[in-house]
Amino acid sequence: MGYVAVKGGTKAIEESIKRLKYERVHKGSTIEVEKIEAGLRGLIDQVMSESSLYSESLASLAIKQAEGNPEEAVFLLRAYRSTLPRKHVSRVIESEQMLVERRISASFKDIPGGQILGATTDYTQRLLDFNLLEETEEKVKEWLAQFHSEQMEANEESHTTDLTIPKVLDYLRGEGLIAPCENNDQEPRDVTRESLDFPAARSQRLQVLTRGQTGAVTSLAYAVIRGYGALHPTVGELRVGSFPVYVDHPLEDGDDEDGFYIGSIKTTEVEMLMPVTVEKELGKKEIEFEIGYGICFGQNETKAIAMGILDHCLENPDPAYPSHNEEFVLYHIDAVESTGFISHLKMPHYVTFQSKLDAARKTKTTAEKEEVRG
Amino acid sequence: MKRKRRTEILINGSRQLAKNMASDIEKYYSLEVIQEPQHGMVMLKTRETAQKSLFYLGEVIVTECKVMLKDSIGIGVVIGDQPEFAYQLAVIDAAFLEEVPETARWIGLLQKEESKINEDRKSYYNDILKMKVSFENMDV
Repeated sequence: MGYVAVKGGTKAIEESIKRLKYERVHKGSTIEVEKIEAGLRGLIDQVMSESSLYSESLASLAIKQAEGNPEEAVFLLRAYRSTLPRKHVSRVIESEQMLVERRISASFKDIPGGQILGATTDYTQRLLDFNLLEETEEKVKEWLAQFHSEQMEANEESHTTDLTIPKVLDYLRGEGLIAPCENNDQEPRDVTRESLDFPAARSQRLQVLTRGQTGAVTSLAYAVIRGYGALHPTVGELRVGSFPVYVDHPLEDGDDEDGFYIGSIKTTEVEMLMPVTVEKELGKKEIEFEIGYGICFGQNETKAIAMGILDHCLENPDPAYPSHNEEFVLYHIDAVESTGFISHLKMPHYVTFQSKLDAARKTKTTAEKEEVRG
Repeated sequence: MKRKRRTEILINGSRQLAKNMASDIEKYYSLEVIQEPQHGMVMLKTRETAQKSLFYLGEVIVTECKVMLKDSIGIGVVIGDQPEFAYQLAVIDAAFLEEVPETARWIGLLQKEESKINEDRKSYYNDILKMKVSFENMDV
């Protein structure tokens, strides 16, 4: 059989794209990008994190274009990102710089600085709120005015001047329960500039994990806890808050004070604690804690916790479990790579499938001939 | 006033302040826009806390502009899609580099804005601390 080149379908494709727009607007109304940005915080955070591009407004636009489909929205943002120049690399963002708005620990009740609940659905009853069907902008403004007034009244009575909250890890390091550790300033590798290779550097692993698909990262971490891994983790500390971002002047050799502040980004950061038995001098065994680190753009606590679990798994390879195999984990959690590959199966495979058909027919013919001879 | 503190005040403070300061310069000096406000990205280099090593968290969209005032090139760079603000920041940066007389008057304005930002931040801290848990031991 020879190969035949074919063309056609242009008109059908044009009509298909037109129909796609029809599906988005056929109810005769449209959702403004500002409203998406105002009301779909969770989805925006997920899309920014998986596309590895922090922009609430562009994520909102992508969500509108993708009709709320995160897989498509992430694809759009990754494609847009590839058209932009990288102007700077930031100065190192340090964990203690975070302006905290939520901070909890599941390991210690009395952590220095206290447990600050922040905005979370953790303590809601998950009952559908049918009042939201009647919510209007007027009602929202009334509620906001009352909220701000209550906050102002309470603030007149208290005068906090600082919200510097010590890290739980520093407390544990001080107690000798976690091995001390010095800053490692080795330049990180960048998976957006060079292909991932194995064994991967720690910086590559963390970059792939933080931009991983929320569902994939969560599922693999869940599998670890259920027994397809060797971990018993606890949330040491979970923080949600904003990091200030600074860049150096591209030409001047100034000090720290000569850099530019460019704004802040909101993230979720987690340290997971894993108890391990360590053999000390004379065979004496002691329990110490190891740490798994998770972080992602926006408020996405499940993903950050799951990343912390997988980080520790990949730091401790174990051939018994795929979740401890970095090639298995890192190659399969990227949203665009995984959905792109699965999705490409819809594309025409006429030639390859035809060759498989030919092979199938040949084996049948051969088998029939052998049967006749036999 | 050094650039770090100045940009913290301008970006965290009222947009009107930067607008007024840039307008002061536009009135009396000739400015050349070297680079129109342009979108780009800043890669976020981050230190993780488990082993204190560095990695890249992802990129953030910024708007950047470059303006020349006499012999100095000012740079304005800010997170998000903010072309006018990036231009104003570049003008102010050039003015400080060139040490034009207006900058002496601006110091007071910037310090006043900084006090307001600090007050707002205190208020924010108080709001956040309302969500701090006060544990009580139960009699069982």
